[in-house]
Amino acid sequence: MTLASYNGPPDAPVNAPVDAIVRLTDLTLGYRRHPAVHHLSGGFREGSLTAVVGPNGAGKSTLLKAVVGALKPFDGKVTLHGLTARDIGYLPQQAEVERDFPIDVLDTVLLGHWRRVGIFRAIGRTLTRQAEEALAAVGLAGFERRPIGALSAGQFQRVLFARLLVQDARLILLDEPFTAIDARTTADLLDVVRRWHGERRTVVAVLHDMEQVRAHFPDTLLLAREPVAWGRTDEALNPANLARARMMAEAWDDKAEVCRRSSS
Amino acid sequence: MKRTFAASLATALALFALPALAEPVKVVATFTILGDMVRQIGGDEVAVTTLVGPDGDAHVYEPTPADARALGSANLVVANGLGMEGWIDRLVKASGYKGPVTVTSTGVKPIAGEEEEHDHDHGHGHDHGAHDPHAWQSVANAKIYADNILKGLVAAAPDKAAALRANHAAYKAKLDAVDAEIKTALKPIPRKDRKIVTSHDAFGYYAKAYGVTFLAPVGVSTEAEASAGDIAKLIRQIKKEKIKAVFVESIADPRLLEQITRETGARIGGRVYSDALSAADGPAATYIDMMRYNLGQFTKALAPAS
Amino acid sequence: MTLFDLTAGPFLEFAFMRRALAACLALSLGCGPVGVLLVLRRMSLMGDAMSHAVLPGAAIGFLAAGLSLWAMGIGGFLAGLAVALLAGLVSRVTALREDASFAAFYLISLAGGVLIVSLRGSNVDLMHVLFGTILAVDDAGLLLVAGIATVTLLTLALLYRPMVLECFDSGFLRAVGGAGGRLGAACHLVFLVLVVLNLVGGFQALGTLMAVGLMMLPAASARFWAEGVVALALIAMGLAFASGIGGLLLSFHFNLPSGPAIVLAAGGGYLLSLTLGPVGSLRTRWFPGRHREA
Repeated sequence: MTLASYNGPPDAPVNAPVDAIVRLTDLTLGYRRHPAVHHLSGGFREGSLTAVVGPNGAGKSTLLKAVVGALKPFDGKVTLHGLTARDIGYLPQQAEVERDFPIDVLDTVLLGHWRRVGIFRAIGRTLTRQAEEALAAVGLAGFERRPIGALSAGQFQRVLFARLLVQDARLILLDEPFTAIDARTTADLLDVVRRWHGERRTVVAVLHDMEQVRAHFPDTLLLAREPVAWGRTDEALNPANLARARMMAEAWDDKAEVCRRSSS
Repeated sequence: MKRTFAASLATALALFALPALAEPVKVVATFTILGDMVRQIGGDEVAVTTLVGPDGDAHVYEPTPADARALGSANLVVANGLGMEGWIDRLVKASGYKGPVTVTSTGVKPIAGEEEEHDHDHGHGHDHGAHDPHAWQSVANAKIYADNILKGLVAAAPDKAAALRANHAAYKAKLDAVDAEIKTALKPIPRKDRKIVTSHDAFGYYAKAYGVTFLAPVGVSTEAEASAGDIAKLIRQIKKEKIKAVFVESIADPRLLEQITRETGARIGGRVYSDALSAADGPAATYIDMMRYNLGQFTKALAPAS
Repeated sequence: MTLFDLTAGPFLEFAFMRRALAACLALSLGCGPVGVLLVLRRMSLMGDAMSHAVLPGAAIGFLAAGLSLWAMGIGGFLAGLAVALLAGLVSRVTALREDASFAAFYLISLAGGVLIVSLRGSNVDLMHVLFGTILAVDDAGLLLVAGIATVTLLTLALLYRPMVLECFDSGFLRAVGGAGGRLGAACHLVFLVLVVLNLVGGFQALGTLMAVGLMMLPAASARFWAEGVVALALIAMGLAFASGIGGLLLSFHFNLPSGPAIVLAAGGGYLLSLTLGPVGSLRTRWFPGRHREA
C-alpha cells in the first residue's frame, strides 16, 4: 500500500477547540493535483503558541500560505474567526524577499504600518518612533539608515521581526524563521515570540529544531502531509508519532490514484 | 532562400508558358514613371506591369516572388539604369527571364550623383554608383527615354510598328510642349531667386535643364539619418542665401523640413513628386502631369510675395 | 571658439536644437524612473521586447492615418499593451514563465508588424518614419512627450509606495495591501502601461531602439551612484538628460545621427559609472579603501 493511496481515516487526534481563531475543516492543499496537506481538520486557539513541525515536503509552508489566503484549497476550507486576512502578520521564507533592493532598514520596518497609512497617508512622528522602538526591541538600534543589502542574514531577519512588531497583528505566521540564523539572533527573536505570546497574540511557526520546539512552544502540529499529531508539544512529539511522520515523508507519486476521501 | 524560391517558381511557370500570338506585348516596367511612358507609347498594343507601385521608393525596393513571376512571362523589361534599380539584375536572373531589357537612360548624358553644394560626406548606404539616376527630371531626357522605349517595343512587336510610331510622335510633341511650358513659367523669376530645398535631391537634371538650384537636408539617399550638424549647416545656408522655398518630397520624412522652415521663415511648398507617380486619382498620375504639377508648386513657392 | 560656444552656442543659435533639448528633458523625466523600476524588477530586457511589440500597432496606425502622431502613438500603445497583458496573463494561467511568454508574444508582434509593413503594396519607407528623429520633433510631438512625462511622474508619485513594495516584497503587499490582494497586480498593470507609454513617446522622438536606450542605460548607470529608489530615479533622470545634451552636441559637432549619438552618450555614461561610481563599481571592488572601525 503506497502512502498516497492511503484511504483509511487519520488516527491523529482531531484538535478543534471551541475558541479557535483559525479553523481548518477537512483541508486538502497542494500543487498540480498532488496534495501537500491531506484532509487536515482542527484549529488554532486564540493566544496559542504553536509549532508546526514535520519532515521536508510535509506541507508546513503550504499550510501557512493557505491560512493567509495565498493558496486556494483543493478541498475543505480555512475559516478565520473575528479577524480578516489583513490582521495576519506573515513572515515567508527569506528567499521570497528581494534582498538587494535599495531600501533602508527603517523604511522596511515602516512598511509594517501599511494598514494604518495605506498608499497615501503620511507617516508621522509617532509611527516612526514605533518603528524605531521595534528596531531597538530586536537589537538593531542605530541601524535605521543602513541599506538592507548591507545586512547579514541574521540582521535582516531581525528587521523582518521588527516589521512584524510594527504590524501589530493578532495572528502571526512564521515560516522557518530561524533557518540559517545564528544562535544569538535566534535567542533574541525567540524572546520576541515569547513577548507576542505574552500579549495574547496567536503565533504559528514552522520549525525544524525539536529542542527549540520543546523548550519554547506549548503546542505542536506534527504534519507529514497527513496530520500525525496535534496537541500539547510533549504528547505530539512522542517517539511513536515522530517515527510515523518520518515514514510518511515525501510521498509524491505521479501515478497515485485519485483520492476517494474527497467530499465531492 | 527567397531568391531560390523565386527562381524555381519562375522556372516552373516558364515550362507552361505558351508563346502569345495575338495578345498585347507584355511589358514589365520597374517603376511608375517608366510604366506611364510605356503606356503612352504602347497604347492598346501593350499590357504594362509596374513593379514598384505609386508613391513607392524604387531605390530600396525588395522584389517579391510575384515580381519574378511577372518577369518570367514578360516579352520586354523596361528599366531606368544608371544604378536606379540596384535589384533588377538579381531579379532578372532569378526569374529566368531571357528576353530583351530596354534601359531607358541609354544615350542620356549622366551627371554626377553629388551636388556641389554638399561639402560633407554622408557615406550613402545604397548603390547609386557615380551617377544621378533621376534623368527623367529633364524633359529633354524624357524624350530620349521615349525613343528608347519605342525602339524596345518595335523590336518586341515589329508587326505593331506603325501604331507604336504614331503614338510615339504624338507623345514627343506633348513632351516638347511641357518643356516649353516649364521654361516659360520660370522665366519671370530671376535665376538667383530660383533656390529650392527639398528633402530628396532627385532634381539634379531638372536643376541643370531649367536653371533652378536645389538643396537637400539629407544627401542623395533616402536612408541616411540627418545629423544636427547637417541641419544646422543647411539652416545657416538658407538664411545666408535667402532661400525662399522648401518642399516636402513624396518619400522622405517631412517633419524634418517643417522644422527647418519654421526656423528660417522659408515658404513651405506642397508635395512634389520626384521618383514615383501618385496613384491614378492623385495630382501626378502620369509623367506629364507630374512635371506640370511640380512646376506649379515650384512657381507658386518661388513667386515674389505680393 | 570658447567652451561656451561649443556647448551653449548650438542651442542659442538654433530653435530646432532647443526643441530637441526640450524633448530630451521630457523623455528623461519619464524614462528615468520607469527604467529604474524595470531594473529593480529585474525586467531590464523587457523594455527591449516591449519596444518591438509596439511596431505593428504603429504600422497599422500609419497605414490607416498616414504620418499622424496620434494614430501611430495610439496604435503602438495598444499593441505594446496587448503584448504585455497577454504575456502576463499566460504566465499567470499556465506554467510558462513571464519572460518566456513575453519573448513569444513580442516576436509574434514584431513579425506581424514587419508583415504589415511589407504587405502594403506601395513600398513606403515606413522604417524611416518609425525611426523618428529627435531633430524633427514638432509641437505635437513635444506636447506628447511632455504629456507622457507628466502622467508618468504623477502616477509614480501617487502609487510610489505600492509600486516600490511590489518590487521589494510582493508577498507582503499581497498580505497587507487589501483589495483582496490585488493591489500588487493592479500596480503591475499600471506600471506596464507607463512602460509602454514612455516607449511610445520615445519612439516618436528617437525611434524604437533608441527609446529603450534612454530608458535602460541611465537606470543601469544610476545603480553605481546611489542607494534608495528616489535617489536612483533622480540620478537616472539626470544622466538621461545629460546624455541627451551630450548626444545632441556630438550630433552637432561631428555630424552624427542624433538618435545613436544620444544613446552612445548614455552608453558612455554607463561605462563611466561602471568603472568610477561609488556604489559597487569596479573601482570599489578593486580599490575598496581602508576598512573602517565598525
